[in-house]
Formats: sequence, structure tokens, C-alpha cells
Amino acid sequence: MSLNNKVVIVTGGSSGLGLAISKRMAKDGYQVLINYNSNEEGAARCRDEITKAGGRASIIQFNVSDREQVEASLEKFFGENSDAQLYGLINNAGITKDTLVGLMSDDDFKDVIETNLYGSFYLMRWSVKKMLLKKEGFVINMASLSGQVGNGGQANYAASKAGVIAMTKSLANEVGRRGIRINCVAPGIIETKMTENIPFLEEMKKNIPLRRIGKPEEVASVVSFLASTEASYMTGQTLSVNGGLYFS
Amino acid sequence: MEKQLIVDGINETLSEEFELGIDKLTPDAHLFDDLGLDSLDAVDMLVHIEDKTGVKMDVEQFQKVKTLGDVYDLVAEVSSQSKLN
Ligand SMILES: NC(=O)c1ccc[n+]([C@@H]2O[C@H](COP(=O)([O-])OP(=O)(O)OC[C@H]3O[C@@H](n4cnc5c(N)ncnc54)[C@H](OP(=O)(O)O)[C@@H]3O)[C@@H](O)[C@H]2O)c1
Repeated sequence: MSLNNKVVIVTGGSSGLGLAISKRMAKDGYQVLINYNSNEEGAARCRDEITKAGGRASIIQFNVSDREQVEASLEKFFGENSDAQLYGLINNAGITKDTLVGLMSDDDFKDVIETNLYGSFYLMRWSVKKMLLKKEGFVINMASLSGQVGNGGQANYAASKAGVIAMTKSLANEVGRRGIRINCVAPGIIETKMTENIPFLEEMKKNIPLRRIGKPEEVASVVSFLASTEASYMTGQTLSVNGGLYFS
Repeated sequence: MEKQLIVDGINETLSEEFELGIDKLTPDAHLFDDLGLDSLDAVDMLVHIEDKTGVKMDVEQFQKVKTLGDVYDLVAEVSSQSKLN
């Protein structure tokens, strides 16, 4: 299959998992649209690395929780690149604002839900409508171990990610008959900015059957599989990438 | 956009995408009862009509349509409003 004009949007591609996923998607042959919110330098570096390696990538700024910004930026990009076909969406942008429920402000809760859950929804709604026209495509949502099992200190984040998992199953149900697949990846603890200040990391490693935390590339390879036709009979699923920390 | 152009455009899209005979596409045809569409098809229809006509429909208004005539009217209304803006 020629993937030449097939565009995959990766939200939050300026660092961490999104960066590794963007590079992997480009290596797989897709044209990658790397989204960032504030870190333009990181997104530009990602794009440059991809183009240097012979791949195709562009960067695009929008805040995923701002529907108007999301839609206007995407309309503009696809309007200006009329040969580009939106083929895949990877909803990876996400934030944490960890604290105990008793100490959690309304804004701590709202910000995390708006970015992780509303953001994923806005992007999915816009993208799936494009995919319905072509009757092909995929969405991969970045969930989390917290969304599968809950986690003290992360009520907001866990709720957002559990929501993402349920939303994935629901949409998979709606668009499966049009050949569009919607799946989730649920990472455990992966080495990125998000996890650099986790307390008791050494202690936690002892509870991971594989005895180490994961690398972003180890999540990117599972995303690559779910995006590919190798996973053509999978939809509505959540694949855990957690070193065995939780057996789903 | 002229009403007849809208009607023709919508009919063409529906016959191509949903394999519906042109003779079935009358204004009083009920989308679900007469054309055999279901709610998932309605979403598809919305997407294809927006693509074909370039008219962006209000989702809440679209949810109220029952017959093909309602669809023609809605697209014509939104299309004339967007011309005024
Ligand atoms: N690392 C882990 O252990 C782990 C585990 C489970 C799940 N996850 C999930 O994996 C995803 C990526 O996390 P990560 O570890 O790679 O985190 P990260 O290094 O902090 O990167 C987060 C990315 O999200 C982007 N982002 C944040 N808010 C945004 C917004 N409002 N609009 C657009 N982009 C926004 C950031 O862009 P800017 O910097 O440009 O603002 C950045 O590129 C998240 O959904 C996270 O919940 C991570």
C-alpha cells in the first residue's frame, strides 16, 4: 500500500511519547502532521529529524482543548494541502495535575479533563468525519494505566483516561462498518518529562515484572502495529504497554 | 446556491453513497422509513452533503430533519444565510 499522501496527525508531538510516535509513523511511510501547543522548538526538531531521514512531516500549533483553534488550524492545513488525505489520528497530547482529591482545585480537575478528554473528542469528531468520506482510517488514543486501574493522586487524570477508553469503544462501535478502526494504547510508566519527577521510582521498578520503566519507542512500536493493516481486525481495544505492571 | 442545484447535488450524493434509486429520492421520502437509512447513515449523509455542497450544517438542526425535503430546506437555508454573512 502506498502511504504517500496519507497524513497522520500526532497531537503533542513536540516531546516524549508523541515525538517517538511521530518519528515511527514517518518511518512507516506516513506523512506526519506534528501538533504542539507551546513547544515549537521541540516540534520543529522532530520535523527536521524526520525530513533528514527522508520522511515527510509538517508542524501545526493548536491547543487541543480549544475547539475553535483545533478546527480552524486543521481546516487551514488541509485546505492548503488539497492532495493530503487524513488517514490517521493519534490523540497523544495530555497533561497531569496530580494531587489528592482533598487538595484538588476545580481548575486542577477541569484542566486535565479539558485537555485529555475534550481534546481527544474534538480531534476525533473532526477527523472521523473526514475519514467517513474515504471509508478508511484509524484513531489511536493514548490512555494510561491510571485509566484502567485508578491511581491515588490522579483522580482527575484517571477519570480523563478512563473516559478516553470508553469513548474509544463507543466510537469504534459507530464507525466500524465504514472500515474505520479506533483503538487505545495504555502505557504504564514510560521515561518522559511527565514521569521524570515521580517519587519512589526505584521502589516502583521492583513491582514491575520486567523490572524497568519503558522507553517511548516501546510505545511507538505498539502504536505502529495498531495503525498498520497487521491490526486490520482490531477495533475498540486497549493494548497495555506496561512491563507487566497490570495484566488487563 | 439555487435550490434546484442543492436538490440535485444532494440526490446525486445519496444515490452514489447509499445506492438509492433516483426515483425514490422525493421530498416527502422519510429518511428512515422510506429510504431505509439508520442514524449511523444519517451521520454519513451529513458528512457527504457538507462535502458536496460546502455548506456547514448545525448539528442540532440536522437532528430534527425527518424527510428528504427537510434536508433540502435546511441546506438551502444555511446556504443562503452564509451568503448574507
Ligand atoms: N510517560 C508516561 O509514563 C505515560 C504513561 C501513561 C500515559 N501517558 C500518556 O502519553 C501521552 C504523552 O505523554 P508524555 O509522557 O509524552 O508527556 P510529555 O513529555 O509531557 O508530552 C506531552 C505532550 O503533550 C502536548 N500537550 C500538552 N497539552 C497540550 C495541549 N493543550 N494542546 C496540544 N498539545 C498539548 C505537549 O506539547 P507542548 O509541550 O508543545 O505544549 C507535549 O508535546 C499523554 O497523553 C500521557 O497522558 C504517558
